Amino acid sequence: MVKPLQHKLWRDVRRHRAQFIAITLTMFLGVTIFGATYDSFQNLTASYETTATEYRFASLTVAGGDVEAFAQAAAIEPGVESAELRTSTDIPFRVDGTKLLGRAIGLPADDQPAVNQVEVLTGTYLDPAFPDGVLVEQHMADHFSLRPGSTMDVFDGTVWRTTTVVGTIASPEYIWTARDRQNIITTPDNFGVIFAAEQTVRELAATGPNEVVSYYAAGIENEELTASLSATARSLGATNVYTRAEQASNAALEEDLAGFEEMAIFFPIMFLLAAGMAAYVMISRLVHAQRPHIGVLLANGFTRRQVLRHYLGYGFIPGLIGSIPGAIAGVLLARLITRMYTELLAIPVTIVQFYPATLLGAVAFGLMASLLAALAPALVASRVLPAAAMRGESPSGGGRRSMLERMLPPVRKLPAAWKMALRGVWRNPRRTVYTVIGVVLSLMLVLVSWGMIDSIRHLMDRQFVQIQQEDATVYFTEPAAAADVADLVKVDGVARAEPSLTLPTSLEANGNHYDTALLVLADGSQLHRLDSIDDGWIDLPSAGVVLGKATRDLLAIEIGDPITLAVGGTAFVEPVAAFVDEPLGTMAYMARSRAESLSGVELPATSALIAYDEGVDPAELRNTITELPQVAAFEDANAIYDVMQRYMVLFYAFVGIMLTFGGAMAFALIFNAMSVNIAERTREVATLLAVGTDRRAISRYITAENIMVAAIGIPIGLIVGHYSAATALASFSSDLFSFDLFIEPTTYLWATLAILAVALISQIPGLRAIRRISIPQIVKERSA
Amino acid sequence: MTIKLTEVWKTFGEGHTAVDALRDIDLDGPQGEFSVILGPSGSGKTTLLNLVGAIDDATRGDIEVAGVNLAALSVDEQVRYRRENVGFVFQFFNLIPTLTAAENVELVADLTSDNGADRAASVLEQVGLVDRMHHFPAELSGGEQQRVAIARALVKQPPILLCDEPTGELDFETGRMILDLLRRVSRESDQTVLLVTHNAAIGAMSDRVLRLRSGEIVEDTRNADPIDASALTW
Ligand SMILES: Nc1ncnc2c1ncn2[C@@H]1O[C@H](COP(=O)(O)OP(=O)(O)OP(=O)(O)O)[C@@H](O)[C@H]1O
Ligand SMILES: [Mg+2]
Repeated sequence: MVKPLQHKLWRDVRRHRAQFIAITLTMFLGVTIFGATYDSFQNLTASYETTATEYRFASLTVAGGDVEAFAQAAAIEPGVESAELRTSTDIPFRVDGTKLLGRAIGLPADDQPAVNQVEVLTGTYLDPAFPDGVLVEQHMADHFSLRPGSTMDVFDGTVWRTTTVVGTIASPEYIWTARDRQNIITTPDNFGVIFAAEQTVRELAATGPNEVVSYYAAGIENEELTASLSATARSLGATNVYTRAEQASNAALEEDLAGFEEMAIFFPIMFLLAAGMAAYVMISRLVHAQRPHIGVLLANGFTRRQVLRHYLGYGFIPGLIGSIPGAIAGVLLARLITRMYTELLAIPVTIVQFYPATLLGAVAFGLMASLLAALAPALVASRVLPAAAMRGESPSGGGRRSMLERMLPPVRKLPAAWKMALRGVWRNPRRTVYTVIGVVLSLMLVLVSWGMIDSIRHLMDRQFVQIQQEDATVYFTEPAAAADVADLVKVDGVARAEPSLTLPTSLEANGNHYDTALLVLADGSQLHRLDSIDDGWIDLPSAGVVLGKATRDLLAIEIGDPITLAVGGTAFVEPVAAFVDEPLGTMAYMARSRAESLSGVELPATSALIAYDEGVDPAELRNTITELPQVAAFEDANAIYDVMQRYMVLFYAFVGIMLTFGGAMAFALIFNAMSVNIAERTREVATLLAVGTDRRAISRYITAENIMVAAIGIPIGLIVGHYSAATALASFSSDLFSFDLFIEPTTYLWATLAILAVALISQIPGLRAIRRISIPQIVKERSA
Repeated sequence: MTIKLTEVWKTFGEGHTAVDALRDIDLDGPQGEFSVILGPSGSGKTTLLNLVGAIDDATRGDIEVAGVNLAALSVDEQVRYRRENVGFVFQFFNLIPTLTAAENVELVADLTSDNGADRAASVLEQVGLVDRMHHFPAELSGGEQQRVAIARALVKQPPILLCDEPTGELDFETGRMILDLLRRVSRESDQTVLLVTHNAAIGAMSDRVLRLRSGEIVEDTRNADPIDASALTW
């Protein structure tokens, strides 16, 4: 480029530095978010994948039925590298006086298994010479401060047996400590996992092996193999068949990863769009104002290509200055996020890699966005007709009556000054459109992140306040008669107790399977309310089975359709009575009397749902009940609620950051549009000042105009934001979580006020520029 | 209103790039006087008008209008002074492109009275633009735009009228019509007028001719018997 032109470029940038800084900053934020989220996504994916192969994470897990026959069948199936039998049992634990329903899983006593290996974090692996030794999963170990040498009790169905911790471990199956797909969220006071010698676990469970874990060749997914193995397993009476992807902990992590991936695309696109538009508005204005200079350049023999390149430079500079540091910051941030994340979740393998492609891609995206933004105005510049340009004949937008005036005649009666403000909105329609889009983008950002918070709060309220009426679930040392459950009410502070029975079950209809739990509730249960998708709150039907709504599509069934429930070794056929909308998990419910008449026996209760009297101290009551001899474990329903509330803090932080970014973006866009707007009319402002209009009044007109533009964007932004939030949430919904968008009305209000505030604040620099306008200088110039 | 300048200097810039646009100007303008300011380009004519109109400050010296020292006015008082006392006709029209002719005039009329629209219409009639009053500036010729600018200056009936080359863009006939109008209106409402022009012939219709050169008043002639504007020729 010709040297003086370069000087001109830099001087122009310096003269409009506030606007260029705004563009650069938005660009920087967009590129940073892209680098940070995309690399985090890649790092985490790699970490999970490596963890899976390194610890030979099961490709397929089969539980229930004739597992021995299945293990033999699987072992000879081509493509299956290993298939191992093991025992897994949910039994009461007692640690430091806390009783909880934990899980014990069998491992070969002498060596790591071939599938689902564990990482010994402290202590040692199991020792065949020491059958009472257990390995404690790290989340539980951390919570109860269990170390090698600590002891804990496990209930074998008859007595509490003391075991000694020989080591703490991490397992690919319990990176996220989900009990199962129906209970994704647990607390360490309610759920924990230990591993012990296979023989020991069989004794504890008083059964033979009940699971087969298989690992496919090279750990690679294989749908055909899965289909054939599943069919075999079902025919052998399996009640629960799940792939690695469906495994509860892994599924939870995958959902999370999917969120990362979505963020890695959604947010950067918004920011780059915003930066691009801010650049476009700014450069268009420059080209417009410099038409006479462009004419002079062309008249003096500069080529159109040189002019084009010169104006592309105005995009290139903020693009480069924004995206190179942005990409570096993003990559560094990704390392930090990955480290913090894997540490928080205690993922055994943390892979933090440098991905040159992300770095290059981030810079390329940034540059592309800014060059594209500069392209249109640069083309306009290169096509200027020198003669016309030098005559200075380029009125900055002629006058026109606004649409509002044409549609609403009384508007014509407004004072001229207000009509000026009104027409200013339409004066440069393209800029108005871009400002409106800026407002829309900002509102989208705000509503998507805020909508997430509102929806989760709503979800928790539904699950823990509206649906689950119980304060705790009490598990018994041995199956109790329903009548014995009633005894719990005698405990001071217990208001109500209902017998409950949870049975692993496989639902089957139209050849489709869904493995879940059947919850046999007391007739007319008041402690678990059912929200039917058709009829709202309903009583537990005395016949038929009530299913979580996700099964409707998964099993392709409608109300009244018969479905088969495989429980233990037997199968029942029962019609669907209702579908319920429950945020967490997808369960099956049946009334106790119906279950008894179907099975022909009096069913016991494995647990009881209890509700407290008002005003009792939950901690004290937990102690009292835990000490009862027939009580094996105690699950505090409110504890999960509290844990989720604590996770919300993370969400608040996330939303806080997004709101800040969204604010910065809105500011950059609106600020640029307004600065340009004011720059374009310095001449008019000077004239108004010269004839005696005071600066405050001028500020009022300009503010009115800008707020009108923002106001056009607000309803559009609220609608678009609402639907984007719904889309974002829908992508998180599955049988694990049923996320419905719920945004508090006040959220819309606050979002609107926030945008208006940003619009007001972002015009302050422009209004201050009005104060510095030199009237004599401008009124005597032919073209401002 | 009387205008009185005492030892007024206006310097632009500093050091060796400093330009004295006005040097030591002393001027007494009685109420109702119609003065024409002549002078070559760059002699300081526009600068002088800007100082009297309080859109620029003198570097040194006093400017008194109706006995009030402009330099002593606060920012708000300056605004009020311009709003109530001064009508400006700029060298380059400076119309608001998004307002029609009528609205451009009304905008200023609204500053000082309630029935701005009516007054705007009547002034536009005076300058012969009734049929074009609902056009936007871009739809008007240069001469028509200048007439709108003049109407805008006249509409608030300011005691002081400052006109910078009001006829520069106009053909002879229209120029003479405008000058006639200015002379008539100012006489009727006893306005003090400073009118800048390159055209020495226009001096014949004025009460007084001032000639500037390099920022100094080099000629100051009173004209006891000004001719009628309609009789001007050039
Ligand atoms: N803002 C400024 N900065 C520096 N110099 C200025 C400025 N404004 C005016 N001048 C100088 O002051 C002198 C007087 O300018 P002014 O505009 O008053 O001239 P003028 O008599 O109106 O000329 P013309 O007939 O061409 O309009 C000129 O030499 C001009 O260069
Ligand atoms: Mg001049």
